[in-house]
Amino acid sequence: MTSNRILPMSRAISEAIAQEMRTDPSVFVMGEDIGAYGGIFGATSGLLDEFGDGRVRDTPISETGFIGAGVGAAMSGMRPIVELMFVDFFGVCMDSIYNLAAKNTYFSGGNYKVPMVIMTATGGGYSDAGQHSQTLHGTFAHLPGMKVVAPSNAYDAKGLMATAIRDDSPVMFMFHKGLQGLAWMASPDGAATVVPEDTYAIPFGQAKVVREGKDATIVTLSMMVHHALDAAEALAKEGIEAEVIDLRTIVPLDRDTILKSVAKTGRLIVVDEDYKSFGLTGEIIATVAEHDPTCLKSAPRRLAVPDVPIPYSRVMEQFVLPNAKTIADSVRASVKGA
Amino acid sequence: MTDIIVPEGLWDADVTPEGIVSNWFFADGATVSKDSVVAEIMVEKSTFDIETPTGGVLKHSVPKDGVIRPGTVIGTVNAG
Repeated sequence: MTSNRILPMSRAISEAIAQEMRTDPSVFVMGEDIGAYGGIFGATSGLLDEFGDGRVRDTPISETGFIGAGVGAAMSGMRPIVELMFVDFFGVCMDSIYNLAAKNTYFSGGNYKVPMVIMTATGGGYSDAGQHSQTLHGTFAHLPGMKVVAPSNAYDAKGLMATAIRDDSPVMFMFHKGLQGLAWMASPDGAATVVPEDTYAIPFGQAKVVREGKDATIVTLSMMVHHALDAAEALAKEGIEAEVIDLRTIVPLDRDTILKSVAKTGRLIVVDEDYKSFGLTGEIIATVAEHDPTCLKSAPRRLAVPDVPIPYSRVMEQFVLPNAKTIADSVRASVKGA
Repeated sequence: MTDIIVPEGLWDADVTPEGIVSNWFFADGATVSKDSVVAEIMVEKSTFDIETPTGGVLKHSVPKDGVIRPGTVIGTVNAG
């Protein structure tokens, strides 16, 4: 069925969860303020009314407890979706996430699966300071045992959430607050999209070329896809055609699409809202370097948060986050420096 | 032509007189079907879905982020 309905990302996520809950009684949701409030970033709106408080469970502020409970439920045959309100709060519950959820399949010799989704809000740009503004993509992608998803728009979010719920591995579903389409936080135009009303699933490990170009490859994800597209638009007016790749999932990582694009363009700029060192940007560059460094016409570049906690001060925060101008500058330097 | 109206009594307007249209779920000029949720309004931190009573071509009267009160006509639907 075709649709002309435009949904913000928050509604696309809650719709995906609702559709899976209708067809699979083992799916349920837990977290802080995910019931009556609908999730502070709207990802569970409407679920309590439809499914009741047995399957849409508000929890106390006790992440270690309720994420651990989610692991136990998943190992007992349920498919929990557990919301960690801000990814920054992982500090208090990392044992539940990476010693239990991520490892129990291995520790049990494959006898137990942990089909659990940890849904969490990422990203900054709205002066919420360093304990509410990180993305931490690399932190979770680095640790084996979890799949990691970070959509850039509503269409992808719905299809990736369906896949996350059906997956037998623990999945970190990382949505950027600034893409959710909330009334109190500005959202880029491309984040809300036409979303089919029927259920559909987008496979993990398939990056999307969201703009084609021949001169440089910008590899990015989540919020930065929109800044990269704005940069590409500006560069096109100068005759520079940048290709933009939206990774969509970090684990598994679609290295083939990156390699194919860089083989064509010869230039690589990686943009991430996470910290710069020891993270996603370095991994992407290493992927190309390990495969064939001779395909690069100029040194690869990366834009990410310099290695400081996200500042509260608006001017300082805006300074450390990549944006369309800094991305365009980097692409320009890459092309002209060759 | 049918008006899409912000219902009275959704919230205590004596305490909070105004809200905003926080999202339109169909573009201006889109064809919508009867009872579709066409918009979301936000009052302080609460959101409410607004349905269209009839199907047809939707016209926005209040843009996204525009101010609304109970009784405001936020859009119209032309069955044409």
